[in-house]
Amino acid sequence: MEYVQSLVNEICPTSSQAWVKRGAILVDVRELNEVEQLAFDVPAVVHIPLSEFEIRYKELAMDKELVIVCRSGSRSLRAAGFLINHGFDPIKVVNMKHGMIRWVQRGFPVKGDISGIVDANAGGCCNHGGKKESGCC
Amino acid sequence: MNIKVLGPGCPKCKTTYNNVLEALKQTGAEAQVEKIEDIEEMMKYNVLTTPVLMIDEVVRIKGRVADIKEIKELLTQ
Repeated sequence: MEYVQSLVNEICPTSSQAWVKRGAILVDVRELNEVEQLAFDVPAVVHIPLSEFEIRYKELAMDKELVIVCRSGSRSLRAAGFLINHGFDPIKVVNMKHGMIRWVQRGFPVKGDISGIVDANAGGCCNHGGKKESGCC
Repeated sequence: MNIKVLGPGCPKCKTTYNNVLEALKQTGAEAQVEKIEDIEEMMKYNVLTTPVLMIDEVVRIKGRVADIKEIKELLTQ
């Protein structure tokens, strides 16, 4: 699903790679079971599940560039908006559009099993092959 | 009374919305019910986990389906 909004700047996975290379931190808001199955393989990644985000967002440095990521880009968009609403710099906080799905499609580095992503290629944040996910929908 | 159900339109959000309508029917309470699926609108409320049930601009339940019984209790508080 494509969302139209103006609060959060959004970048594609390719641009996210460039951000990471220049020192940005990837903030993965997927739930633990999702990360255990498949993780972003980048040097600087922080995992704060969306279900814990409200209490743990202060762990994030406000002076760093943050690329917020999830499976499809939907939950991460909400998390990025939440950060901006809490005083984070909208220039430094961006959402990665299309999330892990597009990241895998582009062949970017991951650790784990990509079959869940490939099988549910067109799925949104509510489609996890039947797996429960408390932070979503 | 103003009731809002916030969520991106997933099945849990639809269930919550339908439960609100059923709870209103069962209690006979009158309320204006809104379904908010617009992401920008949701972000104004700082919503992270959905669905969210708001009554008179106060978040009462978030991140899970609100069942009919608990909605009825909230309506009669």
